[in-house]
Amino acid sequence: MVVIFRKKLWYRVWLLCIREARILASRPLYLFGMIIAPLFTALFFLTLMGKGLPQDLPIAVVDNDNSAVSRRVVRQLDAFKQTKVAMKYANFQDARRAMQEGYVYAIFYIPDNFEKDVMASRQPKFSFYMNNSYLIAGSLLYRDLRTISVLGSAAVAKEFKTARGQTEDQAMTELQPIGVDTHLIGNPLTNYSVYLCNLIIPGVYNIVIMLLTIYALGNELKRNTSRVLLRMSNNKMFVALFAKMFPHTLIYCSVITLIDVILYKFMQFPCALGIGSMLAASYSLIIASQSLAIFLFGLLPIMRLSLSAASLISVVSLSISGFTFPVSEMHYVLQCWSNFFPLRHFFLLYVDQALNGLGFEYTWHIYLALALFLFLPLVVMKSIKRVYLTYKYIP
Amino acid sequence: MSNKSFKNIIKEGIRDSFIIWKEEFRNVIHDAGVIIFFIVAPFAYPLLYCFIYDNEVAKEVCMVVVDDCNTPQSREFSRLCDATRDVRIVGKASNMEEAKHMLREKKAYGIMMIPSDFSKKIVRDEKTYVVLYSDMSSLLYYKAFLVTLTDVSLEMGKDIQIERMAGLSNREQEVLTAPIEYEDVTYFNPQNGFASFLIPAVLILVIQQTMLMGIALLSGAAKDKNTYRDLLPIQRHYRGTFRIVFGKSLCYLMIYSVVAVYLLWCVPIIFSLPQMGDGFAILELIFPFLLSCIFFSLTIVSFVRDRESSFVIFIFMSLILLFLSGISWPASVVPWYWKSISYLFPSTFGIQGFIKMNTMGATLNQVSFEYTALWIQTFFYFIGAFLVFRWQIIRSEKIYRKNKHV
Repeated sequence: MVVIFRKKLWYRVWLLCIREARILASRPLYLFGMIIAPLFTALFFLTLMGKGLPQDLPIAVVDNDNSAVSRRVVRQLDAFKQTKVAMKYANFQDARRAMQEGYVYAIFYIPDNFEKDVMASRQPKFSFYMNNSYLIAGSLLYRDLRTISVLGSAAVAKEFKTARGQTEDQAMTELQPIGVDTHLIGNPLTNYSVYLCNLIIPGVYNIVIMLLTIYALGNELKRNTSRVLLRMSNNKMFVALFAKMFPHTLIYCSVITLIDVILYKFMQFPCALGIGSMLAASYSLIIASQSLAIFLFGLLPIMRLSLSAASLISVVSLSISGFTFPVSEMHYVLQCWSNFFPLRHFFLLYVDQALNGLGFEYTWHIYLALALFLFLPLVVMKSIKRVYLTYKYIP
Repeated sequence: MSNKSFKNIIKEGIRDSFIIWKEEFRNVIHDAGVIIFFIVAPFAYPLLYCFIYDNEVAKEVCMVVVDDCNTPQSREFSRLCDATRDVRIVGKASNMEEAKHMLREKKAYGIMMIPSDFSKKIVRDEKTYVVLYSDMSSLLYYKAFLVTLTDVSLEMGKDIQIERMAGLSNREQEVLTAPIEYEDVTYFNPQNGFASFLIPAVLILVIQQTMLMGIALLSGAAKDKNTYRDLLPIQRHYRGTFRIVFGKSLCYLMIYSVVAVYLLWCVPIIFSLPQMGDGFAILELIFPFLLSCIFFSLTIVSFVRDRESSFVIFIFMSLILLFLSGISWPASVVPWYWKSISYLFPSTFGIQGFIKMNTMGATLNQVSFEYTALWIQTFFYFIGAFLVFRWQIIRSEKIYRKNKHV
């Protein structure tokens, strides 16, 4: 008896899955959202940040001295990988205008009589001005401009010291008695592509997944097929939901597998625990996002309202998950609130697994948090069923 | 005779435009989804984003010290680090394992290791190192550590150099340690803040995307409601293409003039974001931006089949548009193919123009490229909208006539 019942149950699930697969194939939006959108995102961000660090950022130089020494400094600056001396101006006003108009991201200023003052030990001063409305460009150029200033100063100091009878070695160690030796855990190149793509691509997919899940549930109402769905599942909402979502999950998981292969195998992004760990994290993210979307739909069963809510919430998840601006620096309320976003937990998993190489004994609670999202649909199961049975679509 | 009829056409046209305007306004008010995008989202989003990025920079990032040297000099080094704005020393670990453990438990985000020969090397006139291990979960952590440690090492290094130069005059010591001085000045965003950098771009993007979503919802509703699943109701007033485009645009322009003033003028004041430009000049830039957004939305919305699809497509685009605009990723390194695609969207020029004027205090003259581009977009998308509606009218009339015959 029990065996027959079980067979029947799985047979129903099978029929429902087939039905869902037919729906997925019939609407081009699913093709777009499930497959084209994530692959396009991957293509976009990987080609946009191709080299990982912006190179040859344009700066302006105002060289009021125009001596052999100052010109050498400018040439050396131009030779830096990230800096390109794009323009030379005769006065500061013009350079400032160029910066306002966005042609250059920084200005390097060499004062009058620079060479003379160096020779006469009058301590001339380099000035550099960064445009930090473009934060990445500004920060990167700050590093180069500061280095050239320190190096320029050091070169002169070395001359002075050797003139006083010190050996070159002595002079060099004296110039910088304490150095800083930096080790970046997991991302040794400070590569922006590694830093952003690993999270932005799943992040955008996470948005699309939430919207498509609600779309799929809402369309049953809009097309007036919700009662068919329930009849096919023998009036069991859980069976209906499970069978409806299962084909989606399969497709999402295969697409994210492809993306992870591109990121960690093809692009060779650092992944300390191996690609398997990131696949586990990605699958958990997908299932948690779907569950959250079902929950939102249960709360607001009018499709366009739940879609609006989901789109507003999911866009925020990119900021609040903390990979642009760290959560630890946010307000306490937001720190708590960030836990309600699956992407936040995915980010934590990524940091621990791919960058820090920490195993399951350190990450189990994050997986647990993602697993808790699975209970959300159970909360709204009844109300979805009621809506599916009674609601009549009003355009 | 012909003169009179021409006059009549104009008169009728204006009257119809206003009827359509009124009708559209009613649609907006009666659709909760549209209200969410036209009013609620533009109101709430900037508040939320400013709240998220409120701290602007990472302050007092936690660091743990492994001091193998444990001399007055090494302790001074960590004290100086602790005294900066960016870094806070949360504790001393007796060895690297213990420090790593703190990192794993997220009690600290970086380790500073001072080697046992730190002081010895200083006394011997050799170069010595401190070692920094930084968690890379946020570049802001790394930046805070690196800048602080470099500053402290230079500062202490200078003192050490001066000590070694016994017998020289003060002035000589000064010149020898720094024959050339330098100063750095940060323009337009002096605190290197995250909000001051990102929010202005988000504000402009919010205008374009919410308008796009709202108009998509409206057209979706119209398609659902009208008899022949068309964009337009069959009515006397909806005959002329120009009046439809004009009437609808006027409605959106009216709503978004208010929204734009709130977003671009009030929000920067409330959150004391940089605001250097002349308000009226910015208004002059924003006017073609709003127009091009409206016509852009009217044009591309007609290609989306149902309103629910528009959610997926347009929300998906948002983040990509932000990166295309050349604010977070510098425009000078965006590949040419993405740059040419970015020229299709009003947000690219809107964001660049607004940031240059508002954040960097440029005049309208200085953003003439963006300003002209926005007018060109307005022109082309107006033609686009015109053609789309023309096509719709012809189609619905055709269907109408066919059905009548039947």
